[in-house]
Amino acid sequence: MSLLAQTTWWLPPDFSEHGWQIDRLINWLHYFMAVLFVGWGVFLAYCMTRFTWKRVSMAHYTPVKAKASKVIEVAVIIFEVILLVVFSMPVLAKYKNEPPTPADNPFEVHVVAQQFAWNIHYPGPDGIFGKRDIKFVKDATNPIGLDRDGDPNAKDDIVSNNQMPLPAGRHIIVKVTSKDVIHSFNIPMLRVKQDAVPGIEIPVWFKVKEGTTSDAIREQMARTVVVPAAGESTTAYELWCRNNLTFDEVKGADGQVVLKKGAEPGKDHLEALRAAGVKELRVGPRDPVEIHCTQLCGLTHYKMRGQVLIQSQADFDKWYEEKAKGTGDFIED
Amino acid sequence: MSHGHDHSHGSHGHDPHGHDHHEPGFLGKYVFSVDHKVIGIQYAVTSLVFLLVGFTMMLIMRWQLARPDEAVPIIGGLLARLGITNAGTRSLLPEGYNMLGAMHGTIMVFLGVVPLAVGGFGNYVMPLQIGAKDMAFPKLNMMSYWVFLAGGIVMLASFGANGGAAQSGWTSYPPLSNIALSGQTWWLVGMVLLITSSLLGSVNFITTIFHLRAKGMSLWKMPFFVWGQLVTAFLLLLAFPPLEAAGVLQLMDRVADTSFFMPAGLYVGDKPVTSWTGGGNPLLWQHLFWFLAHPEVYVLILPAMGIVGEVLANNTRKPLWGYKTLVYSIIFLGFMSFIVWAHHMYMTGMGTAISTFFQATTMIISIPSVIILTCFIISLYGARIRYNTPMLFAISFLPMFAIGGLTGLPLGLAAADIHLHDTYYVIGHFHYVVAPGTIFALFAGIYHWFPKATGRRMNEFLGKLHFWPSLIGMNMIFGPMFFVGIAGVQRRLWTQVDYNLGQLTQSWVVFSSVGAAVLGLAQIPFIINFFSTALAGRKVTQNPWDATTLEWAAPSPPPHGNFLTEPVVYCGPYEYSVPGKKSDFCPQCQPMEA
Ligand code: HEM
Ligand SMILES: [Cu+2]
Ligand SMILES: [Cu+2]
Repeated sequence: MSLLAQTTWWLPPDFSEHGWQIDRLINWLHYFMAVLFVGWGVFLAYCMTRFTWKRVSMAHYTPVKAKASKVIEVAVIIFEVILLVVFSMPVLAKYKNEPPTPADNPFEVHVVAQQFAWNIHYPGPDGIFGKRDIKFVKDATNPIGLDRDGDPNAKDDIVSNNQMPLPAGRHIIVKVTSKDVIHSFNIPMLRVKQDAVPGIEIPVWFKVKEGTTSDAIREQMARTVVVPAAGESTTAYELWCRNNLTFDEVKGADGQVVLKKGAEPGKDHLEALRAAGVKELRVGPRDPVEIHCTQLCGLTHYKMRGQVLIQSQADFDKWYEEKAKGTGDFIED
Repeated sequence: MSHGHDHSHGSHGHDPHGHDHHEPGFLGKYVFSVDHKVIGIQYAVTSLVFLLVGFTMMLIMRWQLARPDEAVPIIGGLLARLGITNAGTRSLLPEGYNMLGAMHGTIMVFLGVVPLAVGGFGNYVMPLQIGAKDMAFPKLNMMSYWVFLAGGIVMLASFGANGGAAQSGWTSYPPLSNIALSGQTWWLVGMVLLITSSLLGSVNFITTIFHLRAKGMSLWKMPFFVWGQLVTAFLLLLAFPPLEAAGVLQLMDRVADTSFFMPAGLYVGDKPVTSWTGGGNPLLWQHLFWFLAHPEVYVLILPAMGIVGEVLANNTRKPLWGYKTLVYSIIFLGFMSFIVWAHHMYMTGMGTAISTFFQATTMIISIPSVIILTCFIISLYGARIRYNTPMLFAISFLPMFAIGGLTGLPLGLAAADIHLHDTYYVIGHFHYVVAPGTIFALFAGIYHWFPKATGRRMNEFLGKLHFWPSLIGMNMIFGPMFFVGIAGVQRRLWTQVDYNLGQLTQSWVVFSSVGAAVLGLAQIPFIINFFSTALAGRKVTQNPWDATTLEWAAPSPPPHGNFLTEPVVYCGPYEYSVPGKKSDFCPQCQPMEA
């Protein structure tokens, strides 16, 4: 039952600046669909109960004059035109045709997808991306084939695996491509999706709302997990603890620490938790903003999961400079 | 001149006319028959088996989704031999999930629904409804079935290929499909056979409808079902060739190292790709594929609408409301279905000019669907509804198709599609169209025409025992998928429990899987009903539903050559409850004043 209580019914939270327009369109569409469906449904239910074999002795041969059908059709057309012209086309045009200008001081990142990971390529403090070529690819250390030795611009570049730190409040341009098959770069909670097609580099742009941080989102998505008593099903507990971290240190009655702050609880801790008389845990997702791959890309497509780490510009800059110093580093998750 | 009634009791076919005199032997009569009815039944039975196979695959997948990594019950051990489950733990492997997923899609579409709707119902019912003795090209018809069967066998046999069956989805996007193991080659060969079979069939349908209609059967007197089959045949004829070509190109990419769909500079696994020179474009495949696959969804739905039209008219005891509007609508749908394909590709990076075009065409194509549904629902107004099993299935088609159709709108608007594309929302959307939509219509058709094909009527109690839990099961499975998809969970996942958004919707997934079990159990009464009726069901007259269309003027089952006397058509297809008439229906083959 704790399962059902925490189940979601609608859109996930959105932390992008443009996302509300997509959500608004989705919401309006569903209101419109609901009205049509209920309208049809009520009429259908009326007919089904009013015109039964018993209640009618002979069906009507002459067709009814149904002005309603014309009205429905015209209304549907008008509504669809409005949604298309007012609420979809301009949103898409902005999403697709109006990249941030240099005046917006955008921050550019490259994403090179591969089976089954997201490689994130940052240009480093010089702001220039080093050259990539498949002849330099080394799986463990240089997955994107960055020319570290030949190209001076590559010296300070940062390449990270599945981890994507980004500053909030700044225009971001992501250029998406793939090394092997088609993937799709999707961050549901930023309402961003773009196929990663090998041989083509396709840009998407967005801005995370000023003031957002992954830590705050984790807090927002926090949940309480019931510790199952001995003999009870552990399914819900295991599901809700998976990839989740505790917010507080969990101590038993004897003051012994059962779970540290920021630890991932699991099946292994169950006995200790029960022994300590802990009934509930407060946890939040380790990586609250995830990158999904939405295109079937092979065997472990289901595992192709990345994380966006949203930080303040200041925190991001600190991380950025730190990493850029460790030239040649490849950051694994 | 009321020959429709003359023979109502003579259902054993001793036909002095149109009957060839040397009796074919058993093989010629039941196996290598050229009779459209035998071929229709062969198609129907084969595709019902495939539907069951495709559904069973999905049950296994639903088990994995609800209970990730737990042993598959009953057949878990057996599946290990095919490399689908883990030999030790008997749980479904990710490669097994991908195989079953790709084959479920392929089987359901190309070996289940289309062959049942077109090969089965089209073949059996259409020539009877237009008063023809057989199809225009009976041998071609037979060949179409056998090529289809060969395609099906190749598909199933591919599970034995090195590395198992195809794993790249029913869409088979390169480069993934190009670099895949040999199961993909089998898939392509199977597809080429299936496409060939459909092409043979479609030429035959078109010729038959245009040339073999009975005297008096003008186009505007054709039953709506025949119109549905006619438009469907044109879609198959015009949309399949590009896919056949694309299939051959992909086959060449795989076996002859051509690079139609392979760009240069790929790096797969731990080495650069060298067997292809590159220079191809993977998006070309998507265009060719969806140029077929969008019209294909209308191939899946138009015959279903045809069946619903027939069953509704018969059981409302009144003419279909807006018959001509319905016909114009499906013709318009047919045309439009060729210019909406790229709404499946909004996320590939297409420019806004192109996406605007495809958004607009997609909104336009939704209008005739709204009209069709509205006509069907208004048909119930002023009716005298007979709630038998076929009618229950046909009526429930309406709200189910409505859900499926309406949820297509958010996917058709590119801005909303940014969030919804390739999520479970898509799975929910098209399944509402093809599963509680088309499949229900097909069930309606089976219950409706079973007495024609066998002379026996299916049991009503078992029919209702089939209908109600099926309706509940279908909605339990597919309803929750909208919530899972709106939450942002992508499709084709072996498990979603690692994702935050997946965890938040996992209880829906479990609920869905329970629904799948309900749906599975609900098919037991149907299977019992099907066989027990065929063998020993209640015998009925040749027109047990008091129907108007020509197939009911032939004996049940109709003999080779179909009609005892050549039918002549006097009136439209749905002359029910005509004022001033004694009976509440006027068969097409009787003059109205009779
Ligand atoms: C009636 C029972 C059915 C159930 C329970 C069912 C369930 C499903 C589910 C859960 C998926 C998504 C799997 C995934 O993304 O991992 C799926 C995919 C699919 N289904 Fe069904 N389905 C049914 C019937 C049908 C029918 C009748 C058709 C077609 C006429 C169909 C065509 C497809 C296709 C084309 C896919 C996509 C396969 C792919 O990802 O390549 N299904 N089905
Ligand atoms: Cu991927
Ligand atoms: Cu489409």
